Amino acid sequence: MLKTGTVWKQLSSGWMVSSLTVILSIPFLIGVALLIKSTPLFSSQSLWQLIGTSEWAPSEGRFGFLPFIFSSFYVTILSFLFAAPVCLLSAIYLTQFASPRLSTIMHPVIDILAGIPSVIYGVWGILIIVPFISQVAAPLFGTTSPGYSILAGGIVLAVMCIPYMLNMLIETFRTVPVGLREAALSLGATGWESVKHVVIRKSISGIISSFGLGLAKAFGETLAVMMVVGNMVRLDANPFQAGYPLPALIANNYGEMLSIPRYDSALMFAAFLLLVIILIINLVFRYFIYKAQKV
Amino acid sequence: MKTKITIYLLAIGILISGCSTKSQKENTLNISGAFALYPLTVKWAEEYQKLHPEIRINISAGGAGKGMADVLSGTVDMGMFSREIEPEEIEKGIWWAGLCIDAVIPTISADNPYLDEILQKGITRDQFRMIFVTGSIADWGFLTNEANKGIIEVYTRADACGAAGTWASYLDCRQEDLKGIGIYGDPGLAEAVSKNPNAIAYNNTAYVYDINTGQKRPGIEVVPIDINENGTIDPEENFYGSFHSLLAAVSEEVYPYPPARELYFITKGLPVKKSLLDFIRWTLTDGQKYVSDAGYVPEPGEKIVKYLNKTY
Repeated sequence: MLKTGTVWKQLSSGWMVSSLTVILSIPFLIGVALLIKSTPLFSSQSLWQLIGTSEWAPSEGRFGFLPFIFSSFYVTILSFLFAAPVCLLSAIYLTQFASPRLSTIMHPVIDILAGIPSVIYGVWGILIIVPFISQVAAPLFGTTSPGYSILAGGIVLAVMCIPYMLNMLIETFRTVPVGLREAALSLGATGWESVKHVVIRKSISGIISSFGLGLAKAFGETLAVMMVVGNMVRLDANPFQAGYPLPALIANNYGEMLSIPRYDSALMFAAFLLLVIILIINLVFRYFIYKAQKV
Repeated sequence: MKTKITIYLLAIGILISGCSTKSQKENTLNISGAFALYPLTVKWAEEYQKLHPEIRINISAGGAGKGMADVLSGTVDMGMFSREIEPEEIEKGIWWAGLCIDAVIPTISADNPYLDEILQKGITRDQFRMIFVTGSIADWGFLTNEANKGIIEVYTRADACGAAGTWASYLDCRQEDLKGIGIYGDPGLAEAVSKNPNAIAYNNTAYVYDINTGQKRPGIEVVPIDINENGTIDPEENFYGSFHSLLAAVSEEVYPYPPARELYFITKGLPVKKSLLDFIRWTLTDGQKYVSDAGYVPEPGEKIVKYLNKTY
């Protein structure tokens, strides 16, 4: 009896270890496969030429990924600027100030928002955001815009990221002990001061990690952004003009991949870049969290 | 004991359902590719399955590029294809048969402020090239030789597709050379161009004309091509009034090739599946009677014979 018990124990822990190994090795295997597939590209161009130049002419064999990397970062950062303050403030309100009834209503609402398929956000972007930018926002800033633009991508992406970030922020603030805040209040702090100095300070690492996950998600989002961003290869700091993020490049040209020589390697390299950049974003935020926890 | 038996039975069941019989595989045809050919292929499949109930045909539309990628990677038996086949693709062993003809046509919004001038003068191939490729015409004022009358918003397709490939080959370039805002999918492009008065784009005929009424869809207008480049649209160049008259112009080759184009079935090498070959032969013979009603121009007889001979 005892023997079967230990066998079971070893077997089950073996299973657990192997499933963990599988999970951990998948991103690694993906990275290696993408890198192997993209090596033909390096025979004609150096790494620096690939990521540092902006000429994109696949049929002539010239691949400059800079405009795509630039657009990806631009859209992501814009969406982050829109989403982060909104999420932070609403999470604070929902956990610290709102009536319990409101938070119980809001929870399913946020979950529903998170579950909407991205193509719906994309259609919404085309119907509402694109005309809004070309007819209202651009004239307001004294410029013209076709509507399909980096800004439209940023706005749609921000709305898509809000439920994720908000959920994580709410969970983070929930874990702050009520006693801490009560202690601050009893020392004479106002409601806002107690939030600012106690709740936020206590949960700073959670805030950073939810921002990081939101950013990484935004960076990789494909369909909704592709539908509104205009898909033009250009290096232009004007947010009212079109851009072409990396995921859109892969999704749009997947079909052409096998017809033009080295195009498949180029798309694999784009996927590899995407993977590396998202890894870097995560590492940077890990570092911030580590720093914040030390303080 | 009981659970063990159940598990064994389940496992056997899964194994059995996993292997389909050879004849089942032989009789299932998987097709993917161009949106342009999709409606006709669906019609063909319906009619063909009435005659041959044992055949199953699965069709999915996803753009010519997807059809090519799927055929080359072996995920489907046959692709629908809507642009010229590149030498690189022929090198990879692509086999093709032309089935019918349709056209890509330049489009603008019906609210375009210069609509009357455009309809009266048309636009020449060189001017299209300057608008879509070089960008040296960027203002609608070029029609009346005035400056700063409104920026031309050029829209193009973002996804790899036959319409863009065909339009690009009319302008002597490739899809990647077409400037302009990239919109995903043909319906999206038609929607975008009809909404923006300053826009210009190109569309498959099916998204410009309503196949049932033969009239243009609301909000969208066709740019007449000034074929003889005399600066005005002559009566014989003005055939865009209805779907029927446009198709007649395509079939009489008044409308230039490209942007008129052949639509193909493509496979990797001459098909070995007998059921697939039979289906292709049927579309080239009896199937041809459905072509006109579905809104396409039939291939000339000698070409059909040529493609039919390719299947033997």
